[in-house]
Amino acid sequence: MSLVNFTTREITCKIVYYGPGRSGKTTNLHYVYGRVPDARRGRMVSLATQTDRTLFFDFLPIDLGQISGFATRFQLYTVPGQVYYNATRRLVLQGADGVVFVADSQARQLDENLESLQNLQSNLLEHGVDVRTMPLAMQYNKQDLPRELILSPADLDDALNFRSVPSFAADALHGVGVFETLKGISELVLKRLAAGSTA
Amino acid sequence: MTTRAVEAWTLQPLVKFAKEAEARLVLVMTSAGQVMAQHGFSRAVEVMAAAALGAAIIASTAEMAKELKQPPFAALTHQGERHGIFLAGFGTARGMLVALVVYDLDVSSVGLVQLFFEQLVAELQAACPTEGVPKQVLAADFERELSDSLNTLFGR
Repeated sequence: MSLVNFTTREITCKIVYYGPGRSGKTTNLHYVYGRVPDARRGRMVSLATQTDRTLFFDFLPIDLGQISGFATRFQLYTVPGQVYYNATRRLVLQGADGVVFVADSQARQLDENLESLQNLQSNLLEHGVDVRTMPLAMQYNKQDLPRELILSPADLDDALNFRSVPSFAADALHGVGVFETLKGISELVLKRLAAGSTA
Repeated sequence: MTTRAVEAWTLQPLVKFAKEAEARLVLVMTSAGQVMAQHGFSRAVEVMAAAALGAAIIASTAEMAKELKQPPFAALTHQGERHGIFLAGFGTARGMLVALVVYDLDVSSVGLVQLFFEQLVAELQAACPTEGVPKQVLAADFERELSDSLNTLFGR
């Protein structure tokens, strides 16, 4: 849950990158880390196995600067995508303000994407959160692969994007769509925050 | 040493604890890793990394406790060559909070930290407001400023 302090005028939000194993969640964070100026980001923390598979989470804090007079910070997390690590995946979701679902665009990975989406819904429910109320953006990663291997963003929207949330085609390895996705989810999270604050 | 609180009611108990326990670094955070007060850190973003790791340790050991069908562990301590860390969760009217304490072994000890930690918890529980956080309106041009900030951040 975001922390908003009207006295010190600070906002801190938690965004979680979710999705099946090897879909490119950590790659998204690496790209963001590489592009954001030193002064605006912290150390990227990765709790990974010896083969660089995410074991618990990756974490990257970024400082968005002043927005409407509020010092605004985002905490970006990834979850481990492998099915085996569901217990830790659920823990990382705790207190999330927004989720980026990173789907693997390869046609043969469609079942894994669907399974991971269902897993997201079930893990959010464990925290008492209805997925329909959570700010969510879809990213269709690996769109740089040969066309015969992947599904188009329109096909992936049909298959995965039941809520018609903002979706972004991406090639996270080269940074295509990474910034757009982060911007998309940031807007959703902060709009919800602004709407909530007027209640 | 700088002490800073996002929620003002946490400041006084934290300042007192850091002095009495001779702690090098102290963080008070939510169970999701959101920082509420800090002592001894110099850069906000490094604070967040420490908070994320501390909250993750508490969350994973709480799950271990569930597996063992026992209440959450009261506190966790680790002793290194020069520093020790003490990590514990506690309940307040604002929900569960987590404290992370780092101390130098040549000036403090886990016993000293534990001794004053109980007092810190009691003082935070007493100071914690029971009413909800007041709602206030964020600026109307919030969305435009957000977009500008993100464009600036990514150099676009």
